[in-house]
Amino acid sequence: MKYLETPISEEDIANLEVGDIVNISGWIYCGRDAVLPKIIMEAESGTLDRKVDLRGGVIFHTAVSPAGVGPTSSNKKEIEESFGPLSKLGIKLHLGKGAIGAATIELLKENNSVFAVIPPTTALFEDQTYERELLVHPELGMEALYRIKVKNYQAIIAVAKGKSIYE
Amino acid sequence: MNDEIIEKVSAVLVKAGSTFRPDQKAAYERAIASESNAKSRWVLEQVLENAKVAEKRLCPLCDDTGIPHIYLEVGANRSISGSLIDDINEGIRQGLRKLPGRPMAIKGDDMQRIDQSGGLNEDSGALAPSPILFRPCDDPDKIRLTVLMLGGGPAIRGITHRVFHRHSVDVVVDEIISRAREAVSKLGCSPCTLAIGVGRSQFEATSLMLEAMAKGNYDYQTEFEQRITSGVNAAHIGALGLGGDTSVIATFANIGPQRASGVRVVALRPCCCFEPRRATIEL
Repeated sequence: MKYLETPISEEDIANLEVGDIVNISGWIYCGRDAVLPKIIMEAESGTLDRKVDLRGGVIFHTAVSPAGVGPTSSNKKEIEESFGPLSKLGIKLHLGKGAIGAATIELLKENNSVFAVIPPTTALFEDQTYERELLVHPELGMEALYRIKVKNYQAIIAVAKGKSIYE
Repeated sequence: MNDEIIEKVSAVLVKAGSTFRPDQKAAYERAIASESNAKSRWVLEQVLENAKVAEKRLCPLCDDTGIPHIYLEVGANRSISGSLIDDINEGIRQGLRKLPGRPMAIKGDDMQRIDQSGGLNEDSGALAPSPILFRPCDDPDKIRLTVLMLGGGPAIRGITHRVFHRHSVDVVVDEIISRAREAVSKLGCSPCTLAIGVGRSQFEATSLMLEAMAKGNYDYQTEFEQRITSGVNAAHIGALGLGGDTSVIATFANIGPQRASGVRVVALRPCCCFEPRRATIEL
């Protein structure tokens, strides 16, 4: 087990290998296909709300609703297309589920970022999630960008250093 | 309105969304005991632990709480009234608020509901159930209601398509295995339970598939079901696609009447690791 606390350092990421089980704590971002393209566009144009600091961050591909949180498929088009741009903007760990393509794996390697898969254990997450805050795009409801404070989320590193657990 | 029926329906929806059945738990325990891949075994243990916590708290198994589907069996001596259907729909609405269901009803006109530009309804209870599937009940004096909660991931990977059977069961089984391997490998939340309906039209095959989800039992598998489960597990996709022996926990198949034709219509849903989320009551 390797322990990661946000913001995650470049060195911590460099020490991760495919197949490692990691334990994640701290504030993490939550967003999926509706909001991620908007965040990227705003960050690249310099209009992203300043309370969103992506450096060293984790993005969990999930909605945030009264039902809780849980990973959606990271290989949905808009989500997988966000890996490269968000990694360039400072996201170090993308958290979701499902296999991603070779081009995305290469983009993660170029930016020293990783992809981890997490079981969809919503009931367990409720015990491990302490605060939740809607950050931007409230019009998207549960698909807005949130940040949540978590302790001991466990996940498996699926892509690191150009390698994939799905190969 | 009949408050007793509304309360019963509400409670059964909450149970469907939060509880593993005894045969489902036993199936996971068997899978954990036999899984040789440590990472996949860890996933199976997490899924079972999650189910125990959800049952204890009556909270959602998964944040995608699913779309309510209603399977209603009506005995020969019973009848269904419009007011009973209203009570069932009200019970579904109240159950969604109680679970709580994910508020994912899309507002707006036809075009807005397609492109999602009308926004989301914040009321969990605004999520309309699918049309009711009526079937005869084996007990003439009973009305039996099963609520199933169908998540989005399996809907993405589900397939309803014809098979040219060439007058061979093997051809149909092999085609189902081929489709299921592709579907299971792309579904994020495996291990799966494969739900299968074989019928004469897309509507019939899908209805049979829903019935398989409503009736399937992990403790009883036909040879047809075992062949499909084994055939998919031989691909070693594993839980969450991490490799291993358990890509599919079981197969629930329902083979209906068939047409004098070279075609069989097969509906296949790779139910996620929590599905079929279902519970049944008598009304």
